[in-house]
Amino acid sequence: MKNEITLQTRREFLRTTVLGSALSWTVPAFLANTLTVLQTEAADTSKQIITGKDATILVVLQMAGGNDGINTVVPYSNDFYHKARPRIGLTADKIIKINDDIGFHGAMGGFKNLYDSGNLAVVQGVGYPNPNRSHFRSTEIWQTASDSDRVEKYGWLGRYFDNACAGADPTVGVTIGNQLPETFFAKTPQGVCFTNPQNYRFESNAHPKPGQTDMTEESYKKMNELDALENSSPAPDGGPGMTPDDNSGGSIGSLAAGMPMTGGRAVDFITRTALDAQQSSEEIRNIAAKTQNQATYPGSPLGNSLKLVAKLIGGGLPTRIYYVSQGGYDTHTNQVNTQQRLLGDLGDSMKAFVDDLKAQGNMQRVLVMTFSEFGRRVSDNANGGTDHGAAAPMFIVGGRMKAGLLGKYPSVAPQDLFEGDIKYNVDFRNVYAGILENWLKTKSAPILGRQFEPMQLV
Amino acid sequence: MAAHLLNRAGFGGPPAEIQSLAGLGHDQAVSSLIDYEKISDPTLNPDWAKPDPARQLQIRDTNRTGTPEQKKALQQEQNQLQQRDMLELRGWWLQRMAHGPRPFQEKMALFWHGHFATSVDKVRDGYYMWRQNELFRRLATGNWQQLLTEAGKDPAMLIWLDQAQSQKAHPNENYARENMELFSLGEGHYTEKDVTEAARSYTGWSLDRLNQKYIYRPGLHDNSDKTFLGRTGNLNGDDVIAQIIAQPQAAKFITAKIWNYFAGQPPSDKLNESLAAVLRLHGNNLKPMLRVMFRSEEFYGGDIVRNQVKSPVQWLVGSVRVLESDLPPALVSWGMLRQLGQDLFAPPNVKGWDGGITWITTNTLLTRYNDAQSLVQGTLPPLNAGDFAKKPGGAGGQRAMKILQRVRMGGVNVEKILTPEERENKNSLVASLQHRLLQTTLDGEQEKALEEFLDAKEQLNDADILTATRLIMSTPEYQVT
Repeated sequence: MKNEITLQTRREFLRTTVLGSALSWTVPAFLANTLTVLQTEAADTSKQIITGKDATILVVLQMAGGNDGINTVVPYSNDFYHKARPRIGLTADKIIKINDDIGFHGAMGGFKNLYDSGNLAVVQGVGYPNPNRSHFRSTEIWQTASDSDRVEKYGWLGRYFDNACAGADPTVGVTIGNQLPETFFAKTPQGVCFTNPQNYRFESNAHPKPGQTDMTEESYKKMNELDALENSSPAPDGGPGMTPDDNSGGSIGSLAAGMPMTGGRAVDFITRTALDAQQSSEEIRNIAAKTQNQATYPGSPLGNSLKLVAKLIGGGLPTRIYYVSQGGYDTHTNQVNTQQRLLGDLGDSMKAFVDDLKAQGNMQRVLVMTFSEFGRRVSDNANGGTDHGAAAPMFIVGGRMKAGLLGKYPSVAPQDLFEGDIKYNVDFRNVYAGILENWLKTKSAPILGRQFEPMQLV
Repeated sequence: MAAHLLNRAGFGGPPAEIQSLAGLGHDQAVSSLIDYEKISDPTLNPDWAKPDPARQLQIRDTNRTGTPEQKKALQQEQNQLQQRDMLELRGWWLQRMAHGPRPFQEKMALFWHGHFATSVDKVRDGYYMWRQNELFRRLATGNWQQLLTEAGKDPAMLIWLDQAQSQKAHPNENYARENMELFSLGEGHYTEKDVTEAARSYTGWSLDRLNQKYIYRPGLHDNSDKTFLGRTGNLNGDDVIAQIIAQPQAAKFITAKIWNYFAGQPPSDKLNESLAAVLRLHGNNLKPMLRVMFRSEEFYGGDIVRNQVKSPVQWLVGSVRVLESDLPPALVSWGMLRQLGQDLFAPPNVKGWDGGITWITTNTLLTRYNDAQSLVQGTLPPLNAGDFAKKPGGAGGQRAMKILQRVRMGGVNVEKILTPEERENKNSLVASLQHRLLQTTLDGEQEKALEEFLDAKEQLNDADILTATRLIMSTPEYQVT
């Protein structure tokens, strides 16, 4: 029998060689053949072999839009605070006290419960040097764990997949949603995403009799297999006169000579995604269908996302990294109502999630980390809102962790501010390093680019 | 080349249309698309698309003096009206893209919508969204400075980025920042100080809510001196925009984005500098630059052709065009586009859609494959209430589900797209479908799988032909153009 390539080895081959990554998938197929052999020989023993079935799990929760941290964990007894926020400042009767200085926003009863039961840590004053106030750039900084003046190609969890996760499992990370977060961008597997597991499948309206195969589905599988890729022409710049170097005769002028190739063929990326979809859809559907939630969640998008994550964890999906998000925090106007609604939803959803995991007996294995791209200005604006700022608190929720207040609340006194913003005390990468080293049990330096002091979270 | 031009400067088309475009010769073909002013467009506006001061007065009075019950009832009525209008507006626009006489104008309007990305989720008014859409259509290939200024003063933008509420004391920085970062210059081409100075300059730009139009309110304007990008004086909003446009970066920023939109990848610096130079040479009028672009050799390079991921709108509109079928009912189209990640009039944030390979995830790819079945075979796609409402269980979602039970999908008429010979002969069928759908061929293994599927049928019937069509649309190859 000839060397038969199974789908699994083909997948491996695809992952580790042909495509390389979403952004630079241009290795010609003949090279890949050689590399596959080398790859097999150089089996890397540092890879993590435990999976989310029995190991620790991280859930990342993005609060998109820049949550106003100052009205989330409120320095309610501080005069400077009330002076800076005549319109939206929260007085002692509007908050849930943590101590004599600070308290949770009044809508966060759920968080107070978690705090009291030792399931919540507040990391105060988290940020990074030279803060950027653009939503998009700052989100990118958080998602790639880069310095603020550097642009990284891959996300920090993507680099975790690349550095620490063996093999070619597409469910290495799961995003609940339609869009893959930059956090997951990786050289090799970058995880899957979906919103509704029941629809996460190839639908065919051919209804084969029991025992017969569905020809339509069979054909779809064949037409989306790797063969397509192996046999495709190495086409990015193929064809005479079409290579980038030959572009100098173009009519926008010789100016365009040396136009860079910005990536491989889009169709190669889609082929890889098609394989991931094909491989993961059945497993995810089955797991979601067989697991029941044991808590009542709010009917919000965030509630639904966490509900689904709980199902997948309970059902034993091997995923160790989940990503969910909640939007709407960009409160330039009428912040009071908006934040009330969002933080209430956050607290209630999180509380339900924890109750569910406790009932499953999985609480000890799960850690939730929240982040937002930035906090907001100390002073409110004339529209009862706040503009883009810098440092803010992060929340860590879990069953086996160091609960309570971590770090130090930044001063809101005018003389201590920088361009109207509180200064950070904790670099967010210290938090990431703590999670990577103490929770996911892997070295953080190769993932974060250099050694950050791991924050003791566990 | 004609196929590529029609795919990118329009929304593609069936073989006959490509052929007639090719017959024009290159420069004429480009002109036939981009000089659309010569073609009359008889599309009628939605009948609600006009200001309604009486209604606005009623809203204002109820909000001031009404009882809580009256306010609530009015709010519900407004929500329902808005949902109805938005559904019609979405269908209206898709119809213009799919079957209107000026596809390039609509493609540019879609570009500007993604560029000045404004969402009805905050604007909450169908009239304002329609009005902004008309602005993008009117100035689609017009003057860059005029468009930047008018987009800033348009009610939807005034609400979306809070400018309507900004005032002298504590000006709101939202519009000032996003305008430079996302609309005109890009990050790194201005300072934090420029943001706050611009915000002060824009004060006074406001919204006349009763007459539903822009108004300048001198009382809100900060009359002291500001210094913005090197210019000092009692600047106003128009001055700020003029000063932005005076930066060479403002031309480069927009030409790079337009090239990327049509070509599918960013231009090299040198290529972009030439495009920006053309724009500036022509007094910031966009049309001459666009003409240069579509006539350029670079635009037809091997790294450009068939290397762009179709956006969901391109995918949906392009599919009904090559299949010579009708768009699904507006509600179904809307649901599909939401699931595929491009909800028109509701971009995810002010940056718009990231596009490119980010359109493709495991989730959206399977959805494309399944929606292909719905389009071809005329079945309803799997949509549920959550696909139509922000809050599952919300009234909007329930209403949508009720309507959904009554809608009828069209599907594809095989006799329209295939000759009798092609419908009987498997080889001709496979060749014809590939030519129509891909303008190229599948690779050997994929073609083999398709032939095996057809070979298993004793005699080809229409249902098998439709399934084969759907299968070609359920490949990675169909997702690019």
